[in-house]
Amino acid sequence: MTIQIWMRIAGAVCTVAGASGLGFWLAGQYSRRLEELLKLRQMIFLLKGQILYANATLAEAFEEVGGRTEGALSELFQKVARRTAKQDGELFGEIWQAEVKTCQNSVLTRSDMQELAGLGAHLGYMDRDMQERTLLLYLEQLDLTIDGLRQQKQERCRMYSSLGIMGGLFLTILLV
Amino acid sequence: MDSWETLTRIFSRNIRAIFSKLPAAPEHIQEIRLRIQAPLLLICNHQEFFLTPEGAFSANPKTAYQVTRQDLKETLEQVGSHSLYAFEEEIRQGFITVPGGHRIGLAGKVVADQGSIRSMKFITFLNVRLAHEVKGCADAVIPRLFHRGTMLHTLVISPPRCGKTTLLRDIIRQVSEGETGVRPGMTVGVVDERSELAACYQGIPQNDVGIRTDVLDCCPKAQGMMMLIRTMAPQVVAVDEIGSRADLEAMEQVMNCGCRLLATVHGSSVEDIRRKPVLKTMMEEQWFQRCVVLKGGTAGAVEGIYQADGQRIL
Repeated sequence: MTIQIWMRIAGAVCTVAGASGLGFWLAGQYSRRLEELLKLRQMIFLLKGQILYANATLAEAFEEVGGRTEGALSELFQKVARRTAKQDGELFGEIWQAEVKTCQNSVLTRSDMQELAGLGAHLGYMDRDMQERTLLLYLEQLDLTIDGLRQQKQERCRMYSSLGIMGGLFLTILLV
Repeated sequence: MDSWETLTRIFSRNIRAIFSKLPAAPEHIQEIRLRIQAPLLLICNHQEFFLTPEGAFSANPKTAYQVTRQDLKETLEQVGSHSLYAFEEEIRQGFITVPGGHRIGLAGKVVADQGSIRSMKFITFLNVRLAHEVKGCADAVIPRLFHRGTMLHTLVISPPRCGKTTLLRDIIRQVSEGETGVRPGMTVGVVDERSELAACYQGIPQNDVGIRTDVLDCCPKAQGMMMLIRTMAPQVVAVDEIGSRADLEAMEQVMNCGCRLLATVHGSSVEDIRRKPVLKTMMEEQWFQRCVVLKGGTAGAVEGIYQADGQRIL
């Protein structure tokens, strides 16, 4: 066998491995997004408890909830708590929007982040009933997204993995 | 001046910018008033000043900075730590206490429910009343409140804004601390219904009320007095601005428990209190062994101190 054939085999293996890897990565991202949304749901429940039952201010509540969890969302909550406690004259809505916009390392999609950013617009405003309604409304949205992701999880993950492998093989046939 | 910087943090960005242009922190500042579409107003040494957008004092309201809805919105957010829902009870009472013990009076549209105040919306008038602690203003009064080492039931009578709360605070501090070689310190229980005496912020007194003082913050007076007796075993119970029948019933119980009572009431003289329908019983039955009547001017300026029988001793 000539070196050319060896090169072709190596190319084919790399193409299949790369495309399959991409498929598995996408399937992983899907699962991680679902996990992150479940974690966010839990955090919002904790936040609700802090606001309604402990009568904590937003800074205290975000600090407490952020301290109990880990990851990008926990970091976001703690950053918001610190910036809110600073009292630099900013409105809470502005602080929340800015921090959500710069939140990195999260697997949440742009639409998830947009919904999350919308939560801050009504927090802190008016009485405790209003806080409860705002949080319940967001939890409802979150539940819908989570249900949709759960229902399609198996199907989507299998599709991403299969498409990765098949795509790799297709490219190999086409190019090699 | 740290306390001034802390105080300015509660204001909107525009007003904060104006304050930052002031050459120095205003001295003897008593109140800052924010009213929607009205000039920004400061009261220093009982004198009114308008503040211009350039940070200068002015006597002309037309040159003053006009407070906007956005200013009030931002200020309220800062006052309520972005969480006005956590201050529902305080809003119902019409004020919020901020770090430093300053009180922010609120006015706007009251939401009533079956005759009682449920909440307040469209808060468009704010009165920032700066906490003033005048340590030592009770120096002249304190020796007259004791007889052979025992503290006497005392009532401070004063018209509004004559320093009755300031005087009561200093009496509490001095009774709590005691004086070496003269009288020992006593355990004082304070029912601070409107957060004026100790000015607690997150449970910590911002004013010095002495080392042996326990504070029930934002608690209705009558219930608070009973709670203190049951739980904190005070030797002295202090309350500000008594006036209702429930207060009187609780005070009677306090006295029957062997505690000393330290209270204030709105009025101009002992006779004035005797004429008030609710309070006349306690005066006729001589509950208080000392009545301190204030005359205004400086905090703790005493017009006279009277015994239970009405005899003047100072």
